[in-house]
Amino acid sequence: MNKPGFSEEQRDCLQEIINVAMGLASDKLARFLNTFVHLQVPSIALVGAMHIPEEFENRYQDAEAALVSQGFFGNEGVRGEAIVLYQMENAHKISALLGYEAGDVSEIEMLTDISSILTTTFLNGLASQIENSLSYSAPRILSSRHGNVADVLKNTSFHWEHALKVDISYQLIDHSFNCDMILLIPGEAVSNIKNILDRILEAY
Amino acid sequence: MALPVLICDDSILARKQVRKSLPESFDAEFQTAGNGLEALAVLRSQEIGLVFLDLTMPELDGIGVLEAIKAEGIDCFVIVISADIQPEMQKRVMELGALAFVQKPVNEDKIIGVLKQYGFV
Repeated sequence: MNKPGFSEEQRDCLQEIINVAMGLASDKLARFLNTFVHLQVPSIALVGAMHIPEEFENRYQDAEAALVSQGFFGNEGVRGEAIVLYQMENAHKISALLGYEAGDVSEIEMLTDISSILTTTFLNGLASQIENSLSYSAPRILSSRHGNVADVLKNTSFHWEHALKVDISYQLIDHSFNCDMILLIPGEAVSNIKNILDRILEAY
Repeated sequence: MALPVLICDDSILARKQVRKSLPESFDAEFQTAGNGLEALAVLRSQEIGLVFLDLTMPELDGIGVLEAIKAEGIDCFVIVISADIQPEMQKRVMELGALAFVQKPVNEDKIIGVLKQYGFV
């Protein structure tokens, strides 16, 4: 059994790969929103999937939140489910930027689009650097109104062993926009990613 | 004579990737910095000919470094190597005096043209 955590070298390597992937995703998002995005270093952490509900409970407790989930499948056991979490307050800022009214039915479609752009561009960028390629299921909204975020996360995460948390914070020119991305992945994907990171580290 | 070169990136992997992308004919003496503040400390105290500069970094980002280089009149060339590929960002670094913008992940093909163009190799 491999230890679930990453070594410091593996973490640095994964962080850089994620930074590059995030750069691609931000560029796509900036083009979609027709604005400039200030990129920040995303913080990453690998945790047991069972801890995910409690980790996010506080941050999303009182607010209306939306969760968009999308499955991904690659080679060598790399597969999982990507969840993008927003506070609706943040989502409304984006919809306003795109000319939607808060509560508009199409606002949900807009959120789904943005999540899918973020998720697929990010994961494609990640996959190309670890010599993998991914396919995706259609994005689905898990919760969009006052609901219990922790319960929704519990129902989703309990199928999975590990979760790679990527804390994304985007600053648009006149707004700040925060969302969280959670990648739920099985144990074999973690071992596989670790092997790939070691291979990359050996090459340098 | 070897060119004093500073590689500034918060990622160890990224700094190694820069080193590995440079051709053997590039005669340089390397120093590294893990963020913008560390880079400025080196640039203010030593003669550096060329800086490979990341943009997205903690403490002080690459834009902050370029602004300080400009404001303080520090004499060095800067090649920006970044994952932030938004056209507006590329334009901004060029306006702040960078020689070139190279998209991460860096490799020899991407960097050799720039080094040749400016006579570093």
